[in-house]
Amino acid sequence: MRAVNLIPTDQRSGASVGAGRSGGAAYAVLGLLVIVAALAVLYGKANRAASADKSKAATLNAEAQQAQAAAQALAPYTAFVALREQREQAVAALVDTRFDWAHAIHEFGRVLTKQVSITSLDGSIGGAATSTAVPTPPPTGAAGSSAAVTSATPAGSVPTFQITGCATSQHAVADTMQRLRLIDGVSEVTLQSSTKTGSSGGGGAASAGGSSGSCGPGHPVFAMTVTFSALPSASASAAAASAKTSSVAETTVTTPSSGGGAG
Amino acid sequence: MTGRDRIVMIVIAVLAVAAGGWMLVVSPKRKEVKTYEEQVATAETQLSTAKSQLANAKAAQSQYATAYASVVRLGKAVPPSQEVASLVYELEQASNQHAVSFDSIATSSAGGSPSASAAATAATGGATGFTQMPFTFVFAGGFFDFEHLFRGLTAFTSHGGDGSLQVSGRLLTIQSVKLAPEAATPGAGGGKGAPNLTGTVTATAYVLPAGQGVTAGATPSSPSGTTAPAASAAAGSTTTPAVARVTP
Repeated sequence: MRAVNLIPTDQRSGASVGAGRSGGAAYAVLGLLVIVAALAVLYGKANRAASADKSKAATLNAEAQQAQAAAQALAPYTAFVALREQREQAVAALVDTRFDWAHAIHEFGRVLTKQVSITSLDGSIGGAATSTAVPTPPPTGAAGSSAAVTSATPAGSVPTFQITGCATSQHAVADTMQRLRLIDGVSEVTLQSSTKTGSSGGGGAASAGGSSGSCGPGHPVFAMTVTFSALPSASASAAAASAKTSSVAETTVTTPSSGGGAG
Repeated sequence: MTGRDRIVMIVIAVLAVAAGGWMLVVSPKRKEVKTYEEQVATAETQLSTAKSQLANAKAAQSQYATAYASVVRLGKAVPPSQEVASLVYELEQASNQHAVSFDSIATSSAGGSPSASAAATAATGGATGFTQMPFTFVFAGGFFDFEHLFRGLTAFTSHGGDGSLQVSGRLLTIQSVKLAPEAATPGAGGGKGAPNLTGTVTATAYVLPAGQGVTAGATPSSPSGTTAPAASAAAGSTTTPAVARVTP
């Protein structure tokens, strides 16, 4: 007996599974609908985001312009404050690069002994070894350019003192050199000459100290150069000054009597 | 064509439609969104910069009174013109305070010209820097009086204990000092038998660059260039007129 397949031909396995009677057209329409819906959702979201961002950008731009206009209206104030900063920095830079003459004179008076009298003290500040201008940083928000203030005693200049005087002995001259070396900031003390005067005295260097008007008989007349360290830069000087004020150190100084010492 | 082939064709067609829709419709819109997002980011940066500028400007406005007083005070240290008369007053006052006789003042330009204006114009320190005015002063007094005098001259413009600038007179930079016994009256003056010395001092004063006023045209109430007192910009912030006290 021959077997007969009772399943209808269109429902047998392997023959257009799931295609149904429409031949899959229904699925295609359904899929298209889903795709179109998804695309529409994505488009809608993007469109909403675009319009939101657009309006946000416009708002922010308007706010920025408003703030800029307000800042522009106050620009003269900013420029004036910048001018103040610039001038303060320039003046401070000049102040910081000055040599402390009062301190140097004070130190000379402190270290010179009664065995020595000074006939002349000639101090000067030599040319700068490095730069000749004290640069000031540009002020914040300044409209102008940075200013380079030229100091009369720029950083790197070397202060030197030429000292001539009389001493009671050559030993006293040597002592003086040693003591001058103790002065704060002195880098070098060099002797040009130390010559004993004749019995008549004088020797070319008139003493300004004591009761005698000239070097005593047999007393050496000396000439020496005291060289100080080069002037620091404005920033280094300011830093040193602030450090000095932070650590308050009282020092007792002894001054020479009016008869001897520096005269 | 079998049913399976048909399904494959349908899937491909649906995918093609999806890809086409994405590329032609959604993707351009998303690119547009990205562009707007970049615009928003740029605008936010601009706004932040503008706000910070405004904050700085408002801070500058609130500091104006102090700044004006400082600038006026600094004008005493570095005046806009030579102001030799005030310098002489200050030197005379300082020397009197320290028992030193103020004997002479001379401008010491490179050519030795006695003209202060020539000296000032000869030694310009740069287009934006201060103009130098070299002088030679001659004083007479005792050794330690000179020390005090130099301290006084330096104190015209110096740093205070807190590091701030203290200005009570002209900014002077001493370049050289020559102390020698006074020729005419050896041993006289100076007090307590101390010999009198002649001190020849070369120093430099400074002047603001030509065309720059002390306050650059600003008034105590507002700087130069302000139109209205920035009512819209600085609503609520009031500027009190600056008061600068300068002792002669």
